[in-house]
Amino acid sequence: MSVLLSMPLFWAGLTIGGFLLSQRVYQLTGKQPFLPPMLTGTLLVVTTLKLTDTPYDVYMTGGRYLNDLLGPVIVMLAVPLFQQLKAISQNAVRILLAVSLGSATTILSAWALTHWWIGDATLANTLLTKSITTPVAVAIVPQLGGEASLAAGFVILTGIIGVVMIVPMLSLLKMDSPASKGITLGVCAHAIGTAQALELGEQEAAYAASAMTLTATLHAIVLPLMAPLVT
Amino acid sequence: MSGLLILLAFLMVGTLLQHWTSAPIPAAILGMLSLLVFLLVRRRVPSSLAQTTATLAPLLPLLLMPVSVGLVTHENLIRTHGVTLLAILVISLIPGVLVCGWIMSRGK
Repeated sequence: MSVLLSMPLFWAGLTIGGFLLSQRVYQLTGKQPFLPPMLTGTLLVVTTLKLTDTPYDVYMTGGRYLNDLLGPVIVMLAVPLFQQLKAISQNAVRILLAVSLGSATTILSAWALTHWWIGDATLANTLLTKSITTPVAVAIVPQLGGEASLAAGFVILTGIIGVVMIVPMLSLLKMDSPASKGITLGVCAHAIGTAQALELGEQEAAYAASAMTLTATLHAIVLPLMAPLVT
Repeated sequence: MSGLLILLAFLMVGTLLQHWTSAPIPAAILGMLSLLVFLLVRRRVPSSLAQTTATLAPLLPLLLMPVSVGLVTHENLIRTHGVTLLAILVISLIPGVLVCGWIMSRGK
């Protein structure tokens, strides 16, 4: 057993297996937004590590195989961004305003609240990446002096909370046009919000996907440049 | 396969750009921006790249799992501040939703 637990391939395999199983659960439960496969899969692996008393470093000897593929996949995000540029161009000024001001208010309030309530700079800076889709958040968080694994956790939680809160809030305030719902879901709940927008309709989905990629691109450029101010 | 080669080539471009400019922006992001410029100049996505994207995109959550598993190293922090952090995530979302919704609905 201990031989198996020290094998990198075992941990790489467990990650893939855990992901496939979680994907199955997600589909069988009717795609519940609070059960994204990445979250359930991660919890499965974490539980295994706890039960077998395996340190994260040992896990990463195998986890690395998958982690190393992230670079090319981040580059790939240019493809959907390019495809959405047409959809955005008709309403560009309004969308750019909503994306930049909307995302700035949510991350700055998180940053300020963390300083105020917890008083931990690493945590506050990690929270600055909460509105960016996970691969981009994980890539830029070291520049801000944050923690990659925490960033991934915050991003997913924000997405789930956003899916629960955003549409009811907008309906209550009568600001619920497809453009408004789509953009807000994309800015505040990134990929998880975009997945929900897909179920609301085609227009919502296009707006959400554009808002998500624009937010990620904007933050990926602006946050590292602003890092000297917060670190 | 040539789609994958395009991605690796632009990741390399990004790495070189970062090395030369020592910009604080990660190499992969610079690679993404260079690929975007390439696509804008070319005005369409090469079919091999579209194919690679369709294959790789569904795997993205899997590739992010190893980083997320790193949460195990923050057990103490989650135990002490977990509830506060959750509250911060919920509360900080409200101004963002208001601003986005207001800008997108204003004057329509």
